[in-house]
Amino acid sequence: MKATTIAFLLVSAMPALAQPQQAANPLNGNLQAVEQGKALYDQHCTACHGADAGAGERAPAIVLSGATSMRGQRSDAQIMAIIRVGIPGTAMPAWGSQLSSDDILKLGAYIHALRGTAIDAPLPGDPAHGEAVFWGKGQCATCHAISGRGSVVGPDLTNVAGVRKATAISDALTKVEHRVYGDGGVHLPMIPPTDYNPVHVVTKSGQAIDGLLRNQDAWSVQFIGMDGKLYSFDRSELSSLTIKPGSIMPTDYDKRLSPDEFKDLLAFLTRQGSKPAPSSGGEE
Amino acid sequence: MKLRHLFGLVLLAAPFAVSGSAQPSVNNPGPSAPGEWTVYPGSYNSQRHSPLKQVTPANAHQLQVKWVYHVAGSRELEMTPVVKDGVMYIAQYNRVDAIDARTGNVIWRYQRPPASTAAYRGTSVYDNKVFIATTDAHLVALDARSGGVVWDVAVDGGRRLSGVPPMAVKGKIIVGVLDQPDGYIQAYDAKTGKHAWTWHAIPKIGEPESKTWSDGQKEGGGAIWMSGSFDPEQNVIIYGTGQPNPPYSNEVREGDNLYSDSIVAIDVDTGKLNWHFQTTPHDQHDWDATSGSQVLVDTMYEGKPRKLLLHADRNGFFYLLDRTNGKFLRGNSFIDDMNWASGLSPEGRPILIGDGAKPSVKGTLTCPSTAGATNWPSATYSPQTGWLYFHAVEGCGVNFRASSTPGAGTSYIESPEERHRWVSHIRAMDPLTGKRMWDLEEVRSNHYGPGLMSTASGLLFAPEHFGQVAMLDARTGKRLWHLNTGDFITASPITYMLDGKQYFAIASGTNIFAFGLPDSATAVGGKP
Repeated sequence: MKATTIAFLLVSAMPALAQPQQAANPLNGNLQAVEQGKALYDQHCTACHGADAGAGERAPAIVLSGATSMRGQRSDAQIMAIIRVGIPGTAMPAWGSQLSSDDILKLGAYIHALRGTAIDAPLPGDPAHGEAVFWGKGQCATCHAISGRGSVVGPDLTNVAGVRKATAISDALTKVEHRVYGDGGVHLPMIPPTDYNPVHVVTKSGQAIDGLLRNQDAWSVQFIGMDGKLYSFDRSELSSLTIKPGSIMPTDYDKRLSPDEFKDLLAFLTRQGSKPAPSSGGEE
Repeated sequence: MKLRHLFGLVLLAAPFAVSGSAQPSVNNPGPSAPGEWTVYPGSYNSQRHSPLKQVTPANAHQLQVKWVYHVAGSRELEMTPVVKDGVMYIAQYNRVDAIDARTGNVIWRYQRPPASTAAYRGTSVYDNKVFIATTDAHLVALDARSGGVVWDVAVDGGRRLSGVPPMAVKGKIIVGVLDQPDGYIQAYDAKTGKHAWTWHAIPKIGEPESKTWSDGQKEGGGAIWMSGSFDPEQNVIIYGTGQPNPPYSNEVREGDNLYSDSIVAIDVDTGKLNWHFQTTPHDQHDWDATSGSQVLVDTMYEGKPRKLLLHADRNGFFYLLDRTNGKFLRGNSFIDDMNWASGLSPEGRPILIGDGAKPSVKGTLTCPSTAGATNWPSATYSPQTGWLYFHAVEGCGVNFRASSTPGAGTSYIESPEERHRWVSHIRAMDPLTGKRMWDLEEVRSNHYGPGLMSTASGLLFAPEHFGQVAMLDARTGKRLWHLNTGDFITASPITYMLDGKQYFAIASGTNIFAFGLPDSATAVGGKP
């Protein structure tokens, strides 16, 4: 349904996108241009699209980090065409008449930089050694899996570098607060919670189960037990339900591993995933 | 079919006539006939309180989905449908779907190119016509029976109308525009489409209120993006206006910036301002006064019968006003965590804490957030309990400036601190005292999401942003029934009666859901 909607938009509302410019933006990767693009973005775009294009009060995200990424849905060329000609039938103006073509290239370079994930620029190190740390000393597979190997309790990391930035992966290993925040003022896709909060329940028959939260509402709760099984309870079936804030993910990997082990683990993780193909312009 | 519906309505009218006098007054709601919902708020007083009583706290657990209509090509509808003569009208920019309100079957569809998914929040059905704005800055009246164009006029001034639901009042259609450069309200003749008047939210240079802008209101503001109420006795529409521009960098526009963030009472015949009350003078957080509660209530206050206006604002304060003159009577913060103002002055002006949580380059914690302590989805008032019900969002945001340059661009995020996480609540409050009567925290919902409505049988229809629709006991907040619609709900609910059956309806995602009791419970001789 999502793809249908997007195709519909592209075909009917954006004639300029039917033949997107294929030439790469010459300013992509130019740090000075990215910086200038950010200044332009902050002046003209944040009021609607929010900080770092993460969606705002009046308009959707141009980029969202993590699992909700728009990456792969619209190419750089399509994004820049929208900036130039606007979107008829919406509040998105045609900036082509208000900004120079150079400024639009700078804006495009900034958005390109925002849209990148770890796989675009993996961190340096020895990925083979990092892989050994992942399965060995790091004990990552206690909770995580890659390509079907490991545990299903925590987030699957097979494509972590395709959906997370390198900084987000590093933060997850070292910072207590590493939640990926949305902007509650906008409408994020209906995705499962990404907090994986620890859950402890006691059923009315006296069974105690621990696990990690997948979803909940006022009437029910769903979690993966530490035994790897999915549990779904009506709240009325439980004599107690405790959901703790935060995550059980250790955040001292920079200390529990040696500097080389930590560096190589990041080198490994920032290579786990694939680059999604950009949209070819509406036939999807 | 027409005959059948009319017949059904005649049958229905009898019980209302009998029980009407015994029911608490809903203060002359108009214009909808009993069992219909013909304007965005259902009634001009915006109480969103229905006299329908078939569904009750005792039988609400039996509610079930009666039909679903998929609005193909739409995107997360923010629209409240209207219902008249058995037909439901679903309005968007450039498009209206008319569907059988009993079955969800489409009757006709009007689509003017291009298709648009921009937010559009509803319409009015009035004088056999339905009204929508178009993206090419026209206002169009469609024949409610066929979808044929009755009139099609270019908007006076040439600007595209906002997604505000066109409101039918006294032979006029009231609409508005956004804030670039300045918001205004307009009235058009419902019969012909002729422009009647325009009221500008931002004064022209030289007008007395222009002194409330140090920059000569260079960037304007005062968007009109939600409709309001109509008070037939004062002959005024009561609407809210949006924020001043630039929205966050208020240092370039010293002064109160009238009439941004204001509740305004405008004479419906002349378009002249009768009174105004500004909720957030010199706003720096985009706290539009367009929230879903411009609720008109006639009741005793401090020993005297009063004509009141109830308004829960995006800035976190509730305001009780005398709606004959806009005078502030009382107010209170309705959220637990507020860090920008310590209270309200005797005139109802916020008393700032320090610089009032001014956005900064390093980020300023702001409670409530810019998304608001409440927002445009509807509040409801029950004359039976005397309480106002609304969505309140606890939690804080962080507001950033791009630089310290005057007028710099800004943005906001949800505060990353766990204790400031956004949590949505349904809140029942006595508006005459500010006392919180009950409070229900929603699970997962962190957004102002959907609106509310109440019924004379003692129900509160309370959908959640994360897709659940729930029926609550209005007196206790007890959950009586719920259903997962499977998509976000960012729209307000309605109820109507057809063929002896009461329906509730709301947009969820790209679908319209209608709920009712099982046929066995509503059949003649059955026990509702």
